[in-house]
Amino acid sequence: MEYSPFTTWILGNGVPSQTLELFITIALLATLVSIGRYIFGNKTYGIYAPIILAIAYSYTGLKYGLAITTVVIFSTLLSYSVLRRIRMHYITRIAINYCILILSLTLFLMVIDKYGLTLENMAYIPSLAMISIAALGDFFTKQYVKKSLKTSFLTLFSTIAISALGWFIITRDVISTNLVNNLWIIPVFILINILIGQFKGLRFKDLLRFQSILEEKDNA
Amino acid sequence: MHRNTLKDILGLNRRNQEYIRPYNSLSAKAIADNKIVTKRILKKEGIKTPDVYKLIRSKKQLKYLDWESLPKSFVIKPNKGTGGNGIIVFYGKKKGQNAWIRPNGKIMSKRDIILHIENILEGRYSMGSRKDTAIIEERVKTDPFLKQYSYKGVPDIRIICFNGVPIMAMTRLPTKRSNGTANLHTGAICTGIDISTGITTYSMHMQPTSLISDTYEMIDKTVDLEENKSLSGIQIPNWNNLLTIALKCQKASKLGYIGVDIAIDRDKGPVVFEVNARPGLGIQVANQAGLRWRLEKVKGLEVKSIKHGIRIGKNLFGGEIEESIESISGRKVVNITEKVYVYHKPKILNKKKKTKIKIEKELTKSFIDTGVLTTRISTRLSSRTGYTDINKYFKQLETPKSFPTFKDAQEYIDAKGKKITNHPDIVRLAKIVEDGQIVIRPVINIRIKISGDKKALNAVITNDIPYPLVIGRSELTGYLIDTSSIFK
Repeated sequence: MEYSPFTTWILGNGVPSQTLELFITIALLATLVSIGRYIFGNKTYGIYAPIILAIAYSYTGLKYGLAITTVVIFSTLLSYSVLRRIRMHYITRIAINYCILILSLTLFLMVIDKYGLTLENMAYIPSLAMISIAALGDFFTKQYVKKSLKTSFLTLFSTIAISALGWFIITRDVISTNLVNNLWIIPVFILINILIGQFKGLRFKDLLRFQSILEEKDNA
Repeated sequence: MHRNTLKDILGLNRRNQEYIRPYNSLSAKAIADNKIVTKRILKKEGIKTPDVYKLIRSKKQLKYLDWESLPKSFVIKPNKGTGGNGIIVFYGKKKGQNAWIRPNGKIMSKRDIILHIENILEGRYSMGSRKDTAIIEERVKTDPFLKQYSYKGVPDIRIICFNGVPIMAMTRLPTKRSNGTANLHTGAICTGIDISTGITTYSMHMQPTSLISDTYEMIDKTVDLEENKSLSGIQIPNWNNLLTIALKCQKASKLGYIGVDIAIDRDKGPVVFEVNARPGLGIQVANQAGLRWRLEKVKGLEVKSIKHGIRIGKNLFGGEIEESIESISGRKVVNITEKVYVYHKPKILNKKKKTKIKIEKELTKSFIDTGVLTTRISTRLSSRTGYTDINKYFKQLETPKSFPTFKDAQEYIDAKGKKITNHPDIVRLAKIVEDGQIVIRPVINIRIKISGDKKALNAVITNDIPYPLVIGRSELTGYLIDTSSIFK
């Protein structure tokens, strides 16, 4: 792969190409999250979760990533629903949640190994990527406890949507090569975030929420 | 009366940047986020809040809590909780057991309550999951009047104040779906309140099936009650007092932009539940009105006192009840004295080509009088609007100054009227009583704009009227007249 002189200079000064690619992706994903939040009103589990999830998906592939995500969420939901009936401290409940999650994932890997279910390459998925996705369970539970199941699911879908977009960008060689060769894009990201940071207009979600105010009240 | 456009609505981005950040200092926000400190500050100002029975700051304090000293009914809440999370209400103690009854009838044992308090202490419900304090406080006993509109829990009234002026208000009514809580997200009803009168207007209920959160449907009656009651037109008791309390809270908390939650206790009267430094925007849906234009109207105003603030709020933002009446009855509300635009007679610039130039209009005071049939216009106003020649023409006709009876006047009109109405601007002649005498006066066709409606109407030119324009009942079909208010 041919790099621009500036990128070549950076790579020649101790920055591995894969690391540089990842760094610039993080900047891009962070900007995507802020656009999603302040322009569309899309709530995610913070800024870190969608970034980690997108990177994890780039290692697992979207199909495998989503399958693991589904197992993580259902396992978390199931264990939390059972555990909430038992009297115990909050942190211990979360800890047990993790234990059950690990068991579920192990069982899941075994089921895939036996029946395939079009996920035959699951055994080759890096375990670190799998664990990164498993962390989603904690974010999900916290939101569920503090808000509601519906809110938590909505936030989960938003997070996955942003992460899937991130995965798409990361895994397209044309995009990542262009990003690495055009490092000036990082100040552009900063500029975009400054502009979004000053944006006072209505979010897309606000428009939907307050639509009734603009309607005629003939049917009142 | 204000019509909503997109620009009138306040979104989260603008709320945070234009109102919360500049007007709510970090220290003021810290006070509002701390229920114990807020209570202390409000108490100093003489504002009632629910009494605190116990404060539990550590597991050690919890261990030595004297449960017997607690009254039968109480509330447990996290000191730094948000959105009503972690609040549990107990209605009474189960006989012979160490257990308490919740509004939904469920029983919570002492062990369960201890566990809940431990969760509060660990920060499960606090902002940023930081360690917190549990408050055990008095349960507000709902005022019987508001109780009939809510399911089990305590309805509250939220008033948004900005720059010392009450801006918008709503009441939140618990339902079966909300499990007796006044939380809109869990299914409580929100009902808008007219700032000037304290009368409820629109009511909204969050749709449970909607995928997009915060989607409401308009309702007109309570839900889940044995006998569902109409929600519009309810007069909130002690309205002026509630507005005063809200503004006192703003002054005490030093929050420039504040949401004050007030409940009406059966015995104590209004008590402040909490002050909110980041009040939600759902109040706009309840009132079917945007917050932004209201906030912009009072931005930078010099408000001298609480009374002054209330007066400003009432004058600027009152009138939702009129809009509500309009939407329900399909009729517009006009004041007994109303400002209307009177359009001038079109001037012709080029008489050959008959090219019309702009039609001017002027704002004038009018009196709504159902006692007269045809509208009346003063000679002076008719001259100003371009009918000077009619007045001159009519003067030179030398019509009798008065007639003994209406019959005589009619006979005169029948005999001479056709000739007189040859003038292009005179529509007909009318017989009226002027200065106690029966006279004949010319009727012209004028155009006016009243309450947003453009109308062409016949008007009698006369001098015997208290206002430049008196609108008669023939023009008032489709209007309701508010006799209580004069010019705004």
